[in-house]
Formats: sequence, C-alpha cells, structure tokens
Amino acid sequence: MAVLEAENLGITFGGLKAVDNFNIKIEKGELYGLIGPNGAGKTTVFNLLTGVYRPTEGKATLNGKVITGKKTIDINKAGIARTFQNIRLFSQMSVLDNVKVGLHNKYKYGMMTGIFRLPKYFKTEAAMDEEAMELLKVFELDGEADYLASNLPYGKQRKLEIARALATQPKLLLLDEPAAGMNPNETAELMETIRFVRDKFDMTILLIEHDMKLVSGICEKLTVLNFGQVLCQGKTSDVLNNPQVITAYLGE
Amino acid sequence: MAEKRLKLKKNTKNNTITYALVLAVFLLIEIMQGTGNISSLLSGLLVPLCMYSILAVSLNLTVGILGELSLGHAGFMCIGAYASSIFSVVTQNTITNVWIRFPIAILIGGLFAAVFGILIGIPILRLKGDYLAIVTLAFGEIIKNVLGSIYVGYDSHGVHMTFESASSLDMEPDGTLLINGPLGISGTPNDSNFIVGIVLLAITLIVVLNFINSRAGRAVMSLRDNRIAAESVGINVTKYKLMAFTISAFFAGIAGVLYSHNLSILAATSKNFGYNMSIMILVFVVLGGIGSIRGSMIAACVLTIIPEKLRELQDYRMLIYAIVLIVMMLLTSSPKMVKFWEAHSPKRFIEDKFRSKKSKAKGVQ
Repeated sequence: MAVLEAENLGITFGGLKAVDNFNIKIEKGELYGLIGPNGAGKTTVFNLLTGVYRPTEGKATLNGKVITGKKTIDINKAGIARTFQNIRLFSQMSVLDNVKVGLHNKYKYGMMTGIFRLPKYFKTEAAMDEEAMELLKVFELDGEADYLASNLPYGKQRKLEIARALATQPKLLLLDEPAAGMNPNETAELMETIRFVRDKFDMTILLIEHDMKLVSGICEKLTVLNFGQVLCQGKTSDVLNNPQVITAYLGE
Repeated sequence: MAEKRLKLKKNTKNNTITYALVLAVFLLIEIMQGTGNISSLLSGLLVPLCMYSILAVSLNLTVGILGELSLGHAGFMCIGAYASSIFSVVTQNTITNVWIRFPIAILIGGLFAAVFGILIGIPILRLKGDYLAIVTLAFGEIIKNVLGSIYVGYDSHGVHMTFESASSLDMEPDGTLLINGPLGISGTPNDSNFIVGIVLLAITLIVVLNFINSRAGRAVMSLRDNRIAAESVGINVTKYKLMAFTISAFFAGIAGVLYSHNLSILAATSKNFGYNMSIMILVFVVLGGIGSIRGSMIAACVLTIIPEKLRELQDYRMLIYAIVLIVMMLLTSSPKMVKFWEAHSPKRFIEDKFRSKKSKAKGVQ
C-alpha cells in the first residue's frame, strides 16, 4: 500500500485554480521530487497535504487513512512532518529545545508534574534529552545543542528544521526547498543527509526543489507541476528528458 | 552529554540566582526590622513591593513567554481582591484563626481570577497583537467598572444584588452589606504582611520558572517564536495559550488578595485597578526585560521605590520618573549601549584577563 496517495486534489482561491486534479502515489521508502516553475503550486500542494489549506475537491490518504479535512496538528500526529521554504525555527529557544518541542507528543507528562517537579518529570526529561541529543548527533548539531537556534549558520538551521520534523516520528517527511540559499558544497552535503535520513529512519520523503543537480541526484521519481496541473509524472530520467518538461521548466 | 549537563546547569544556575536574590532581600529586611533600622516609608512599601513583583512576574508569563500583549492584568487582580475580601469579611467571625482563613482567601482569590482568565481567554486568545491588547484592556475596564458600581448584600432570604443604590437592595434588617457600590468593601481584616508577601512571591517564582522549564513551557514558547511551525509539529495552540494565560491570571488574583488584605477599605477605582495600573505592570515587564523573570521583579521594586523617594520634589516627581524610565530604556535596550555593555561587562573582563594570561603562558612555553 502506498504511504501517500492523493486523488484529484484541488483548491480554488476565488476564481483561481491554484492546484487542480493533482494525483500522486508515493510508496514506502521512496524519495520523491516535486518540481515546476515558480508559482506552479508546489508549496500549495504541501499546504493541502498538511492541512494548512482545506482542499476544495479530492482527497488524500496516508497509509490508507483519509487525512483531508483534518487540522494541521492532527495530520502531524497521523504521521506527516514538514519543513518550510523560509526557515521557521523557534528562534529564541535553544537548539536542543527546538528538537524537544518536536518530541512533545512522544513524551508526555502533565502541567502539574512539570510545575511540582514530580519524579516523572525528571525521568521523562532525561529520556527526551537523550533522544534529542541522538537526533542532533545524526545531523552533527550536538556540539551546538546549547546555542540559540537563531545563532546557527544557515545550513545548520536547515538541518535543525529537518531534525525537529523527524522528532515528531513521521511516516512521511515533506521538505520544501531544502537547498534554497545553499552553495554547491552545502547542497552536496545536504544530498548526503537526505539520503542518509531515508536509509537510517526508513523514511518516505517528498521534496520540492529547484536545484536540478540535487533533484536528479537523489530523487527516484518526479512529478512536474505547471500552472497548478500535473505536467508529467514518472521515473526521474524519463521525466527530465520529456520534451514538454524541457520547454515548460528546464529550458532548451 | 557534556553539552546537556552544561545546559541544565545553566538553567538551574539562573534560577538559583533569582531565588537567592529574593532570600537575600528577605533576610536583609528582616535584619533591618529586627534592629529597628527601617524607615516608615520602606516598611509601608514592603507589601506593595511583593505585590508588584508578583504582578510583574505573572504578566511576564503572558508577555514574555507567550508573546501576547495583555493590558488587562489589573482586572484579574481586581477579581482576586474582591473575591478574597468578600470571603474574609463573611468568615471573619466563624474562622478566627488567621492561618486557616488567609490561605483559603488566597486560594479563592487566585482561583476566581483563573476562572475569569479561562472565560475571557477562550474568546480573546483567537486574536493577535494589537487587537488582543485592545480587547484585554476593555475586559480589564469592564471588570473594574462592574465591581466598582455593584451593590451586594445578603440576609436571611439570600443574596441581593443591584446597580442602583444600597437602599434598593431591599434587605431585611438583619442583612449585611458586602459591596457598597463605589465605596467598595470595608472591614477586610489586615492579614497581609511582609512574610506572607515574600512567601507568595517565592511560590509565584517557583511555579512560573518550573512551568517555563517544562514540556508545557516549551510548547508555549514555541507558539511565541513561530505559531505555524509549532502547529506543524503537533502543538495544540489554544490549549497552551490558554494555559499560560490562566496561570498568569491566577497569580494576578493572588496579588489582588495581598492588596485587598493590606487595606481596610477596598474600592475599585481607576487608580488601583484601572488601565493605568495595567500599563504600569507592563512597564515593569518591558523595563525589566521581556521574558526575563528576575529583571521584571527588580524593575517592579525599583519603579515602586523611585516615585516614593521622589515625593519631596512634588510637582517634578512624575517628570523625573518619566526621564528615569526613558534613560533606563536607552541604557539597556539601544543597540549601541547593548554593544557597550557587552564589551565592558565584568564577565567579559574576567574572560579577557584569563585569555591573555593563557596566551602569555603559552608564549613562555
């Protein structure tokens, strides 16, 4: 069974069809790319999948369960985590605390337990610290655990955002332009990280990206969006050689 | 692991300084009182100082940690003051032991304010920024005006309530007048004292600081920093906003209890529970540093003592107060001064010394 399946997903803002008749099927463990020119509706698709917008038509299922119409936090609990095109970290909190917020729904104790420092508080916090540090180690951020998130360099902020998303124990990870604003070296490193995340956490990943080197390097399948409609879909090499895609997006 | 320990240590260290500061001030005042070295001005200010500190710390939870501007804090204080005063007046003759009556009064004051915090919070926390500030301001004024004009009394037939006048309550001759309209509640026992105040302040600090450093506190701060991202990692926005707002209201209510039990007549006027008061608490928070619990406490004390000390200057008092405020803001917040303090802080000085010694030692080798 596919991890994510969308059928005829669409949304209209006033008279504008931002996304129309969007279909996608992502199998477990796949690295799937979503590409297309600016304004094609790629981020809108992410917002539809994560409940930021409510689709006006169609439906999406995660492991067979319908997620359309649910709230963002419920969709996250169901198993979709995302990062943002413009980085959204908890900038005035420490790097460690950012990840611990991601672990919020995995480790639970009540407000009163926290205020009165009952034994459960110390036990749970220790477990949270340990798991958060493990995640940070994966992204080589453990040395900066104590820093404010806003003091991290750009590339590390991107990584922290991925770490925080992974902390919510997702089944599907959505990455919105992870390589935006990165130099070629950082992009190469990021490619390694994404591939590593997929293998280590056995994760299914859907990513939006403009950097064709990254896309052709790691994505196994692609969907090309243009003016809110699917232009082409399939294996990366086939899609990138499709004449329609070349005229609409890649250029001669 | 080393990093983790360092961080925990840093938090604990910071909180320990705050607690130690309160303890030191408490001991100092006790010694001064014991040896009779305290001025009548200062001894009269002791309870208000505790009260303002509690207000500032609790408002900082809304403004600094939740990141929402609330201008109705005095309203919650007003509810706490009235609820506890009514309780104390009614039970004064039945519960004669102060050590039983006053703690119950404190709890009642806090809980009433917290309930109103929830009731008001549910609709208004959907708003953001300026809009939220305006609505909290309005709610604070409504609470003050209603309590400042209501007449409440009780007799053998039950409780009577009116907005007209004391005589239109139509009570039996055995009835007791509880709230006498604009004249308020009289006969509240004077149970507040410095020790109770400092204990309540300590409790406020422990609860607020522990809350901030817990799972719920992190959730609240994540809402402040980025609501959309917080939602995307599964944080329930309404729940945690309401939680912080309610705790904040609870302690404002407790400050109100301290206030009402320090005076024999409690009346809701624009001077004590109006928006001026709310804004003054906000000034404590902003001046002490938004999000800095210790800072807001210190600011509350300094800004309460300065106007009293300046009383001799009469008409120029508020002028100088305003100048002090502006100068302090500039000294602590303007980018140039922040840079200056960073470059000349004692910590930096020691670190530099240490480093130069180290490099010298290397040079010798």
